[in-house]
Amino acid sequence: MKIAYSLVTRRTFLNSLFGGWLVAFCGGSIYALLKFAFPTLGKEPDFVVLNAGDFVNIPPNSVKPFAWGGKLGLFFKKENGSTYALKGVCTHMECNITYKPEDKKFYCACHKGWFDDNGKNIEGPPPKPLEFFDITTEGQKLIVAKKGIKVELPKA
Amino acid sequence: MSCQRLKHWIEERYGVEEMKRLAKHKLVPVHQYEIWYYTGGIAMFLFILQFITGMVLSFYYIPYFEHANKSIIEIVTKLNMGWFFRSLHHWGAQLAITVLFIHAFSTLLLKSYRKPRELLWISGFILLAISIFFGLSGYLLLWDERAFAAVRVATGGAGNLPIVGDFIKAFLRGGIDVTGDTLTRFYAFHVSILPLLTLFLIGIHVLLVQYHGMSVPLSLEKKPQKQVPFFPNLFYKDLIIWLLVLGIVVSLATLLPPEIGKKADPLAPAPENIKPEWYFLFLFQTLKLFPGEIMGLNGEMIAILLISCGILFFFLIPFFDRKSSRGEKSVLFTWIGVLYTLYFIVMTIIGFVS
Amino acid sequence: MKRIFFAVSFVFANALDLFAQDKAIEVFPAAPYDRFIIFQALALFWIGIIGLIIIIRMKLKEIERIQKMGIDQEKEDTPLLD
Repeated sequence: MKIAYSLVTRRTFLNSLFGGWLVAFCGGSIYALLKFAFPTLGKEPDFVVLNAGDFVNIPPNSVKPFAWGGKLGLFFKKENGSTYALKGVCTHMECNITYKPEDKKFYCACHKGWFDDNGKNIEGPPPKPLEFFDITTEGQKLIVAKKGIKVELPKA
Repeated sequence: MSCQRLKHWIEERYGVEEMKRLAKHKLVPVHQYEIWYYTGGIAMFLFILQFITGMVLSFYYIPYFEHANKSIIEIVTKLNMGWFFRSLHHWGAQLAITVLFIHAFSTLLLKSYRKPRELLWISGFILLAISIFFGLSGYLLLWDERAFAAVRVATGGAGNLPIVGDFIKAFLRGGIDVTGDTLTRFYAFHVSILPLLTLFLIGIHVLLVQYHGMSVPLSLEKKPQKQVPFFPNLFYKDLIIWLLVLGIVVSLATLLPPEIGKKADPLAPAPENIKPEWYFLFLFQTLKLFPGEIMGLNGEMIAILLISCGILFFFLIPFFDRKSSRGEKSVLFTWIGVLYTLYFIVMTIIGFVS
Repeated sequence: MKRIFFAVSFVFANALDLFAQDKAIEVFPAAPYDRFIIFQALALFWIGIIGLIIIIRMKLKEIERIQKMGIDQEKEDTPLLD
């Protein structure tokens, strides 16, 4: 049945109402499900606080690992005694790197990537240099922070 | 006998005679390419084997990152025959994926995907993808150093896809990095989501085969066909081959039990020279061909885009190959098929050797 | 080849055990007696498989013979004997 001035029949109206309602209903339900299935992403820390005594006295030309969130951080003392902290994760495919003291280079075993002691990618597939952090010491605290982050420690 | 009464009971309720007649009328063509018909049956047999061994393994496996590695070591070293069934599950998986690739490439080269069997190709392709994901998720369950690094690389690689990449990566990892959350996720995939999907798709795949019947290669289609009944001739031949495959898997499992590495430590350096499972080698090797940067763009991203296009084309091949759908010879797609096959084989070998 | 390698590496791993805590996990029973049993079982398994295959082949031959004679096509209204 169609009234003279109506654009749609009653059946089309009902069908589209039913279809649209169904899509909206299922869409909402699936959205809720996906919301649950997808994790809320944590993020990398802006800074970590370490015990300075454990790190500053390492021998020159060596590294000591620390936890940068869930990732590997490396505290690094060059041969000339200057100290650095960097993220020990290869910029290519996120494998953990090692320091090769005899070559004074960082090495990623996954795809044979090399970085020099300034973190520059010199050989192999890595597309970017390693990420270095800022380090400051406050008494016994060694603060490793992302470059350009102002660290405000909670007053104890 | 009570057997007679049971038979009667069933016959009264269901059309057994009809089914018997149907089974008798299922004919299978005989020709020089018939050997490739068996690959599908072998794949199914191996899937059944994987289901059974997997169920038993799940009695003992603990999907928690603190205990996962240790629980597998206990399965292998302490339980009765534990080393054997774990090894059987490993080798069953390796063989299943090998057979699936052979099945896929034989279908590609014989053009069995052509009209009207497009949906068979599609469901088969999805099953292949699922099986590969089965492999990846099962690999992580070991939770040793190699598995950890390999999954980090694989999920990171998926993250290089434009737009959806980060989404997929986060979904697979359950966070920004591979952690204990990733392990529970992969466990859920491996023991519940993927098996259910697989069962469903195998059901569709087998039903479609029954519906369409076996495909006959284009070159033989016009010639007169010799046919034999599936039951009992082909059924017994299938049985022989299944027994041989079972023997091979069991021998491999006994003679070459796979190793278990040290428990994964997110802060430990990556183990030397990690290689993905062999069925990822062709992807891995392709990635290596690309430099880190191409004209200021991320080389990895370009590589992964190209690979995705290649795989998408492979997926949609029945719709591109119009000629063979019309029943004509399609030389171009024969060459494309050969190219795909050769690329896969050559890249896998190079990846294996280097 | 790999097996021999494994066997040798196990011997080494056991010898090195005195010095290092880090040893490869034994994924295969080490005792010679266990190994003997396993290989024996494997051989028996294969004998079982080969026996089955031979029987199935004989069955297949029989089926093909009957099909050639054309007596497998039973008539619709033959009374069943079983």
